[in-house]
Amino acid sequence: MSVTQHCPVGPAGNVGSSVTYVFAVCGPGRPGPFAATCGHTGGGPLRLLAVGPLWAVVQDVPAVTFSETALHRRLTDAAELERCARAHHDVVTAAAAGGPTVPLPLATLYLSHERATAALGANLERFRAALGRVAGRVEWGVKVYVVESDTTARPAPSAPPETPQPGSQRVSGRAYLSRLRHRQHSRELNRESALAAAEQVDRAVREMAVGSVRHRLHGPEATGRDRTQVMNAAYLIAEERGDELATTIRRLRGSPGFDNIEIEVSGPWAPYSFTDGGELAGHQ
Amino acid sequence: MSDTRMDIDPHSAGRDLASLVLTVVELLRQLMERQAIRRFDSGELTEDQEERVGTTLMLLDERMTELCEQHGLHREDLNLDLGPLGNLLSHESR
Repeated sequence: MSVTQHCPVGPAGNVGSSVTYVFAVCGPGRPGPFAATCGHTGGGPLRLLAVGPLWAVVQDVPAVTFSETALHRRLTDAAELERCARAHHDVVTAAAAGGPTVPLPLATLYLSHERATAALGANLERFRAALGRVAGRVEWGVKVYVVESDTTARPAPSAPPETPQPGSQRVSGRAYLSRLRHRQHSRELNRESALAAAEQVDRAVREMAVGSVRHRLHGPEATGRDRTQVMNAAYLIAEERGDELATTIRRLRGSPGFDNIEIEVSGPWAPYSFTDGGELAGHQ
Repeated sequence: MSDTRMDIDPHSAGRDLASLVLTVVELLRQLMERQAIRRFDSGELTEDQEERVGTTLMLLDERMTELCEQHGLHREDLNLDLGPLGNLLSHESR
């Protein structure tokens, strides 16, 4: 059955070679509405596929643009990857707004509705358990950064020495070594205090969370060069505790030892980090 | 759009190789720096040795900057993504 009405329907909406793209598994209440989202460009309308008592949010997409080679090409193109990820995320978000949802990974594809139903149905109990766990809860992302101060920046070898020696052209070897040492020590102190701050944030947020996951840290290409990420975590928190989270973060930001610490909060998100969607969809 | 794709033209391949080699050199340089600081702290070096070690490290650092400039790279560009282990270089020293 179709759950959208205002989207341009691609060729896959008609008869043609198409495959089944699955965005998420929801339920047991009927998810949606999906009025504000169209799924992937060129695909048919978003549909709900019954998987036992649960619902899979699916779209028929053209086999030619979603073949393994086509996908590989498209997903290594940053602009195209972003488009796909946004389309995927929009549908997952719309589904999650309607009730408990297990988001499946980007590009979860089956050859037909029947294959999708069979594969997802094989993990029915685990889907139900995952849905039970995330019901009434949302994911929040919390990232902690330390902002680099001047004391930790590299001294240029040609910079004037801290105690200028009259007549000397350049920094002496000993002065340089001593400056390296000073820099390394202040860096260690900085790092220790940053990690302590991150621990403090984690402890405070975990108190109100029912689950937490640490993701790998982002490098400078994502964070910018003037700050270093020291924590990248996700928390599963009851929907109604969003304000409490905001208050806690505000209190932490004003705490002693947080002068050069930045805390970024994002959410609420569909529970991407807490449902093992990839495993449940039969991915290796 | 195409510039966000993987590009394997010979020029960029040469640049990638230079960046890889310089990354390894930078790793060794950082390790030497740390080792020198440890010995400096332990007080086992004579003043003369300290002077020489310091001068060597300073020249090495300058040379590294030059090499990066010659290959159109920034020191911060030198790194290797080791997947779940994070990055090879911390770039704590910028």
